[in-house]
Amino acid sequence: MFIKNYIKNIFSAVKSLLVGMKRTLYYFTHHKEIITQQYPDNRDTLILPERFKGEVVMPHNENNEHRCTGCTACELACPNGSIKVITKFDISPDGKKKKAIDKLVYHLELCTMCNLCVEACPSDAIKMAQTFEHSVYDRNQLTKTLNNPGSKIMDGVE
Amino acid sequence: MWSFSNIANLVHEVLAEHFNPAITLAIEMVIAGVSVIGLFAILGLVLVIMERKVSAWMQIRLGPNRVGPKGMLQSLADTLKLIVKEGMTPNGADKLLFNLAPFIAMIVAMLLMAPIAFAKDLQMWDLNIGILYVSALSSVTVISILMAGWSSNNKFSLLGAMRSGAQIVSYELSAGLSALAIVVLTGSLQISEIITSQANGWWIFKGHIPAIIAFVTFIIAVTAETNRAPFDLAEAESELTAGFHTEYSGMKFALFFLAEYVNVFIMCSIAATLFFGGWMPLHIGNWHKFNHVMDFIPSSIWFFGKTFFLIFVIMWFRWTFPRLRIDQLLDLEWKYLLPITMFNLLLVTAVAILGWHF
Amino acid sequence: MKGSTIVFYLLALLTLVCGILSVSTRQIFRAAIYLLFTLIGIAGIYFWLDYQFIAAVQIVVYVGGIVVLIIFSIFLTQQTGERLPRQKPGRKIFSALAVFCGFAFTMLQVFQHEFTGTLEEGAQPSVQNIGKLMLGTQNGGYALPFELVSMLLLAALVGCIVIAIKNKEEAK
Ligand code: SF4
Ligand code: SF4
Repeated sequence: MFIKNYIKNIFSAVKSLLVGMKRTLYYFTHHKEIITQQYPDNRDTLILPERFKGEVVMPHNENNEHRCTGCTACELACPNGSIKVITKFDISPDGKKKKAIDKLVYHLELCTMCNLCVEACPSDAIKMAQTFEHSVYDRNQLTKTLNNPGSKIMDGVE
Repeated sequence: MWSFSNIANLVHEVLAEHFNPAITLAIEMVIAGVSVIGLFAILGLVLVIMERKVSAWMQIRLGPNRVGPKGMLQSLADTLKLIVKEGMTPNGADKLLFNLAPFIAMIVAMLLMAPIAFAKDLQMWDLNIGILYVSALSSVTVISILMAGWSSNNKFSLLGAMRSGAQIVSYELSAGLSALAIVVLTGSLQISEIITSQANGWWIFKGHIPAIIAFVTFIIAVTAETNRAPFDLAEAESELTAGFHTEYSGMKFALFFLAEYVNVFIMCSIAATLFFGGWMPLHIGNWHKFNHVMDFIPSSIWFFGKTFFLIFVIMWFRWTFPRLRIDQLLDLEWKYLLPITMFNLLLVTAVAILGWHF
Repeated sequence: MKGSTIVFYLLALLTLVCGILSVSTRQIFRAAIYLLFTLIGIAGIYFWLDYQFIAAVQIVVYVGGIVVLIIFSIFLTQQTGERLPRQKPGRKIFSALAVFCGFAFTMLQVFQHEFTGTLEEGAQPSVQNIGKLMLGTQNGGYALPFELVSMLLLAALVGCIVIAIKNKEEAK
């Protein structure tokens, strides 16, 4: 029984090792599988993988409207405090007070691109963009305001 | 047809005419030494670029591609960089041993070159006990590692050195026992005799099952003995920075690095000699026409072809398998490889006595 | 002087100097390394004599085996790197005397021994001859001592296992 197990062990080990070696040999002989991007040589034709994350942005539509309600869920979700939501109170046409954002401040230099804020946002107001050439000479330039000046919330987003 | 022994004899005669025997011997030693160092340099350059390209292609990368055509001169640039770097000796290190260790590694690698037959009649020292000599000297490599690890005065170095000590001492056993399988079949330890015994077919074909088992165990043990992944616990980057050579820089580091590659080359050439006939072309029993055609390919091409194929296999291991843990490493040796090689030795003895090989 | 004589003196010098250094150094790790070079020098002399098999065995057993074990035990036990305390003069004198007596005794034996010359061919120290003699039962074969030594090794192995084995009660 012991001997049988022992020999079975050896054969299964050899088999699994061979499976791995087959895979690497396949890659070794198939150079078209190479995924290296020769940045910056191919800056114009660069293909980034779908899940690559470069920075947090807030999309606006053509009327300069965004979807952020100012709920601060993103601020709470961020593990290292990269987002600060500064709220104000708008007076809606029917005279009610309504919470809205004044500024959504985003510290790119603190962000780890973990995507938690995007997942926390209940109204899909922010998303991850694929830009990555972020280097600047002054680090104050990395503190960004995500909502455009003069923008307001889209109709129908609560 | 010209051969290397003719050249060697010619050189010897010319020298003997002009000088007395002692100086002739000294000059011949210098010539042999210089050619070995030259071979080392070329091997270093070729093997490093080969390793980097192989690893890149296996990991779907491009690898070095800037220096020279397709990056082929990259290792030359690396060498230049290493030469101009400062070789530092840390404070609190044992200066003498720290500086001695890389040279020991190098000298052992050089001595190991002596009995290898690179081509027909191209062998520096065809001594009676070739295989024993190789396995004896390769056990000295561990001393340089232990020395480097201890004298660096660094805990990572010491840990790396101890790991590699345990590893090399245990894997030497199965490497030796697997090599013994072929020695039993040949009945000689001499490298030239082992090669001529394969004139009618390589041992891996003639010795069938036991020879194949011996070959597999030999390659595994040799990979472990040369401290290469998946057995690179001595320099496990993720755990020990760089293991025993953490504190080394510049040329002293380069010597360790070079010695590792040269050891890989030597071990692969020994494997090629034992199992694939060294420089012996592919001969099949009595097919005289076929054998004759094969003889047209120069013997040095056969030798280097086989050796580099085996080196490729070892690189293939390195870039496929994950590193073993230290207890798994020792398990593999003492619970699997050693019993298998011992059983295989019995098998091969039976085969040799009963004449079941071809 | 012939080339080979020079080589012999170089090897002898290496052996002697390293031997002296290995007992006089105060760092235990260095002592082990000097011992290593002494043993390598002896192996070199065997090579010089063309006793290749013995030389290789010397390297396998002493350099690759015993010195590595010594270094290992130094790693595991000693506070490496620290210098050992100086020995008392009395001890030094005593050990020098002991060494001198041993040396004198050996030399006496060598000089008193009558080396009888022979015209017979010496046995070739090839592996085949060594193997045949080692396992031969007649004509000065060494089968019996060989087997006795193997018994000794077996006893040592069994002893190791007995020491290393875990006692079931202790394990609880
Ligand atoms: S991606 Fe992560 S770190 Fe960056 S702002 Fe969002 S939650 Fe914070
Ligand atoms: S971005 Fe989303 S989560 Fe953050 S405040 Fe606006 S609506 Fe809330």
